[in-house]
Amino acid sequence: MKKDVWHIGGHELTSRFFIGTGLFPSPYVQKEAIRESGAEVLTFAIRRINLASTEDDSILQHVEGESFQYLPNTSGASTAEEAVRIARLARASGLSDWIKVEISANERTLLPDPLETLKATEILVKEGFTVLPYTSDDPILCKRLEEAGAAAVMPGAAPIGTGLGILNPYNISLIVEEAKVPIIVDAGLGSVSDVAQAMELGVSGVLMNTPVAKAKDPVGMARAMRLAIEAGRLSYLSGRISKKRYASASSGHEQFIVK
Amino acid sequence: MGGGVVGLSCAFELQKRGHQVTVLEIGRCGGQASGAAAGMLAPYSENVEGPDDFFHLCKESLRLYPAWRNEVRRISGRAFEYTESGSLYIAYHEADRLALEGRRLWQNEHASSGIVLEGDALFRQEPMLSRDVKAALYTPEESHVYAPDYVLALEHACRLIGVQIFEQLGKVTVAEWRNDIVVASQDGQSFTGDRLVVCNGAWAQELEEAFDIRIPVYPIRGQICAYEAEVKPVQHMVFCNQGYLVAKENGTLVCGASEDVAGFDTSVTERGIERLRKWNKQAFPFLAEQEPFHRWAGLRPSTQDGFPLLGPLKQSAGRVVMAAGHYRNGILLSPVTAQVVADYIDGGGSPLSAFAPERFTH
Ligand SMILES: Cc1cc2nc3c(=O)[nH]c(=O)nc-3n(C[C@H](O)[C@H](O)[C@H](O)COP(=O)(O)OP(=O)(O)OC[C@H]3O[C@@H](n4cnc5c(N)ncnc54)[C@H](O)[C@@H]3O)c2cc1C
Repeated sequence: MKKDVWHIGGHELTSRFFIGTGLFPSPYVQKEAIRESGAEVLTFAIRRINLASTEDDSILQHVEGESFQYLPNTSGASTAEEAVRIARLARASGLSDWIKVEISANERTLLPDPLETLKATEILVKEGFTVLPYTSDDPILCKRLEEAGAAAVMPGAAPIGTGLGILNPYNISLIVEEAKVPIIVDAGLGSVSDVAQAMELGVSGVLMNTPVAKAKDPVGMARAMRLAIEAGRLSYLSGRISKKRYASASSGHEQFIVK
Repeated sequence: MGGGVVGLSCAFELQKRGHQVTVLEIGRCGGQASGAAAGMLAPYSENVEGPDDFFHLCKESLRLYPAWRNEVRRISGRAFEYTESGSLYIAYHEADRLALEGRRLWQNEHASSGIVLEGDALFRQEPMLSRDVKAALYTPEESHVYAPDYVLALEHACRLIGVQIFEQLGKVTVAEWRNDIVVASQDGQSFTGDRLVVCNGAWAQELEEAFDIRIPVYPIRGQICAYEAEVKPVQHMVFCNQGYLVAKENGTLVCGASEDVAGFDTSVTERGIERLRKWNKQAFPFLAEQEPFHRWAGLRPSTQDGFPLLGPLKQSAGRVVMAAGHYRNGILLSPVTAQVVADYIDGGGSPLSAFAPERFTH
């Protein structure tokens, strides 16, 4: 069978799990959980990183020497201007030219500001970044971000850290249908069933942090999530049956009878 | 089992309540994590995400501290440092403001009078702070102790009220716990009792086999250093996302700490201390010129979910009580841990299920 790989900005990926490095109970558990997740892409808030010497940073030092693709994010930014400034700092420090645009204006919901997100995406694309905007699950907005040059678009399932699961699966499936770039569900997932559902809707990947880091056993949960991603992906590729209102015998041969 | 701050605090509280307590220590009391700690009592700066069960435990312990400190001082006759300095959690990016503000909002609902300071108001509070710092969350309620002296005072207080302390036992194992408590030491002594309180910090996992449960406690090494500082250059405990600085009465400025995955190795590495020096001069530029005169390390007992193992083993019918896995906050949590353990032993209710030691065992 052909290997099920995908691409972002010319970079080939095998894993469909983007994992956040925050919130883990300790560096030991973090390290083990990241390993168990099989993730190739790590995401973290730029404002939490010691940009003056990233190899000494309190978080990044624990993944030093491994070949992760970093996806730094602009969390904490409340305007496009601020997000752009943070992105430039991250690139200048040599971390990565991938950037997750994350702009929220409300500290209670942390929901993304769609207008500022679009604006920042336009600017950063022009500056040559590989831009992955975190956005609300609006199909038209997601299309606009793609047209602005986003390398992948990352609609939220629900507000960050809530674990509410996919609040609007209909929208996510529309977004996937229309998209020519990878769609990654980012934020709001809680359990393996949410993750499998996202993958069955046809998204290319999922980004998670809280549901793994705050689980009672983050290492076990990282593995469970990895398996859910695999199962959901395989189910999507294999094509689920259509739903029927009444029972139909699974052992019948009626359909082969020539009438 | 264990003569760190947790074991000594439990012993102190239980002996005061009329129990006859024996402390068994394989090395020296306070010789591991407890003697290495920076001594910060900082439930707000150490819990930045939200008010979970662990935060409430930390907060309750801070509330108990003044009375507890008075007791330990009174009985031991030793006046260890306890400074109500307040803390500053500093931020370098505009983008941190949202997070600081979010933290202030929920912490203000939980007995913190914290406020976000910036500009002159901030630099008046902490004059030597780098002008690159954009804002800080000031929490007046947080304080700190000088941990080595506090632990010594506790040990002294324990001895004075009749706790028997056996040190340098080399190896201590649990020989019997299902019907009776029998603990054996390497030199052939055996110790019996009605109850066993397990306080062996980062070494708790060694008891997995004895108790036939999972004890996911892992050592995380903290490397830490101190500068000489005649005139107190730093007024508050100053935290940032890379570490913290705190000035002590004895004329030192303590800067901590790394979080290394290094097994049970307690050595100090050049790289580890270099890392501290790289960020601490960003917070306080005058440190660029200085060399730390003292460097040391200790093993924090971390757990799989970040919460301690605190409470009875059900399968021992409460004969064995665990108090281990306090990770970064064992000094802070010592009074509340002692109270929870003693209350349970005196029949005063069960500790929270979030801390149940058997929660990792299926
Ligand atoms: C660098 C550093 C800075 C820190 N700063 C702070 C701070 O600012 N504030 C704060 O609240 N906390 C801080 N901590 C954390 C704090 O030190 C720990 O949480 C606390 O000391 C844990 O106490 P303990 O008694 O469980 O462990 P320990 O002090 O390690 O004591 C456990 C004892 O058990 C003994 N032992 C092991 N096995 C056995 C056995 N089988 N039988 C008998 N005895 C045994 C060991 O020899 C040891 O003495 C810091 C830690 C470090 C390393």
